[in-house]
Amino acid sequence: METYWYILAGLPTTLALSVLAFAIGAVAGIPLMLARRSSLLLLRAPARVVIDLSRAIPPIVWLFIIFFGLAETGLKFTPFQAAVIGLGVVSSAYLAEAYRGGLMAIDKLQWEAGHALGLSQRDNFQYVLAPQAFRVALPTMATFAIALLKDTSLTYTIGVNEILFRANSEAQVGSASSLAILAFAGALYALLSIPTAMVTRRLDAAMRSKVAQ
Amino acid sequence: MIYSDWLDYLPQLLEGLRTSLALAGASLAVGFPIGLLLALGVASPLRPLSGVCIVLVEAGRAVPALVFLQLAYYGLPSIGLTLASFVAGTVGLGWITAAYSSEIFRGGIASVPQGQREASVALGVSAFDTYRTIIIPQGLRVALPALLGLAIQIFQGTALAFTIALPELLSAAYGIGNQTFRFLSVLTLAGLLYVAIVIPAGILVRSLEVRMGRHLAPEYR
Amino acid sequence: MTHKDAEETDVAPASSVSPLPARADPIVRLTGITKQYGRDAVVDGVSLEVAEGNVLAIVGPSGAGKSTLLRCVNLLERPDHGRIEVHGHAVNAGEPTSERQVAALRRSTGMVFQSFNLFPHLTVLENVSFAQRRVLGRSRQEADSRSRELLARVGLSDKSDTYPQRCSGGQQQRAAIARALALDPKVMLFDEPTSALDPELGLEVLTVMRELANDGMTMIVVSHEMHFAESVADEVAVMADAKVIEQGDPKEIFKNPSHTRTRQFLRAIVER
Repeated sequence: METYWYILAGLPTTLALSVLAFAIGAVAGIPLMLARRSSLLLLRAPARVVIDLSRAIPPIVWLFIIFFGLAETGLKFTPFQAAVIGLGVVSSAYLAEAYRGGLMAIDKLQWEAGHALGLSQRDNFQYVLAPQAFRVALPTMATFAIALLKDTSLTYTIGVNEILFRANSEAQVGSASSLAILAFAGALYALLSIPTAMVTRRLDAAMRSKVAQ
Repeated sequence: MIYSDWLDYLPQLLEGLRTSLALAGASLAVGFPIGLLLALGVASPLRPLSGVCIVLVEAGRAVPALVFLQLAYYGLPSIGLTLASFVAGTVGLGWITAAYSSEIFRGGIASVPQGQREASVALGVSAFDTYRTIIIPQGLRVALPALLGLAIQIFQGTALAFTIALPELLSAAYGIGNQTFRFLSVLTLAGLLYVAIVIPAGILVRSLEVRMGRHLAPEYR
Repeated sequence: MTHKDAEETDVAPASSVSPLPARADPIVRLTGITKQYGRDAVVDGVSLEVAEGNVLAIVGPSGAGKSTLLRCVNLLERPDHGRIEVHGHAVNAGEPTSERQVAALRRSTGMVFQSFNLFPHLTVLENVSFAQRRVLGRSRQEADSRSRELLARVGLSDKSDTYPQRCSGGQQQRAAIARALALDPKVMLFDEPTSALDPELGLEVLTVMRELANDGMTMIVVSHEMHFAESVADEVAVMADAKVIEQGDPKEIFKNPSHTRTRQFLRAIVER
């Protein structure tokens, strides 16, 4: 029984990782997206490369690169730090694309309507397009948030003391119950993600109605 | 510099890459057919059947892939079933593939206009034949790009098999890193090898989407 | 304009639930058909008969239940009450019916839809041969040669190896008619066949339907095409608010409608 409480006690770390990485991604994703859409090739090309690389390399490989790889160059991160940075990098790329998708989904006519009203490029963006784009992107972002929550399980490989790390250490001790222990960990993640998934589905439907597509 | 020893690392990493691709292939080969069956099962009017299928799909989507792999490799021995790494990996990633692909299949099948179902039924074609010859072929066509996208993600997921002692790409890189203590160099190379598969594959899928958008003409003019 | 009059023949049933009397019977008989969605009756106690070789046009304002009624004939919709008899096959609402009974009834009918519903992944020829091979078990040669006959009849010989997307709406609908005819149905059901077509293309289709009628096919047509109803139909049923409010000779009804609702409806058509 203590085993299960011990595993459960990894929950705060799991949540902290998810929230921090998502926050980094949500914020860093904005300049990344703007650069990607920029008319200047000098901004657009590197942004494209960064986004594509960040999404193409499996997250666990990123974690290894940042934790093991960067340590050689003197940048020694704690497991938790490396995890936040690694997942943050991946999140920035995915969320930047989510934002981009949101903007692309807005009907061209909305752009023109804003211009016709005499709004400046910046105002048009800020007050007409960005709010609508955000609404369209929201379901994608929520889906990503769930995926991110599950990806925190990867961080146990670099020593972060979260749910799966604890489950693994407990499972070694008494192998007769390793199935139950791992199943418990799995159920824990599932319980966290299912309510969020239901909210996402509701968001999806609600958001579409408020947007001109 | 960072890439001075890359030529030395390459043979081992390519070995590992082969294993990664093999695992991805096996998981997809197992997962896609099961996913299609799950999609049909979820839509079935038989309550117990659809219930079981829904649980399998939702579990597959809610539980992290890593946990599935570990359950298959470390967990199953508890009930007397010991699987080799590759098999365990296929079981774990296969379940995930089945769960996610079932949703894609469901969307594809649902996209076939109701009118065609009706026309087939009005012609007296049995429900089974209607599915087999009219609905599923068209549904698969619509689902194809998304299925390929899933395949790419599953390939990325093979990196997780590192934790269940499979000698795939990441474990090969880590092994070299351990010996040479030059992690950054070899991990970067490994990363680039993933990129070399993922990005071209992504471009192929996108061009397929565009081409199919033109063939699947929107409803009759 | 000639139609074969309903002949005094015994309608020979392939299978029947109840024995039929020796006198001529209508080839389609609907008795007391009611269909409800929730609390609203979309079709309310409708009874109709169609003699063999006759054309019945069902007209009326939108939402009157015409399409739903038509779809009850081949059981695409299952009525909540009533009885459907087609060519000796009978189905009573509320009683359990086997797949076989339903399939047998459907084999006697052919349906043409407003949205054509051709199978986009098959060529026109394959569309017409499809059900022949799958339902009637004909060989590929048999089916294809019959298909070519029918496509020639509807004027689409040069389109047999084309995919539906590359055909005009009128061509697609004519292909759909050929597809339905390929199973040698006794009754053809048309659900607003020209509503999705512009007038020119619609005319192509109406011409084919007119020829079909002249050749003696029993037809039930739900349509807004008043001119067609007047000139080709033997009988017209006017539906409004889920009921048949008037029925009879088209010329009579269009000139002297007895029901106010019919007058309203016809006036609206003229004023457009």
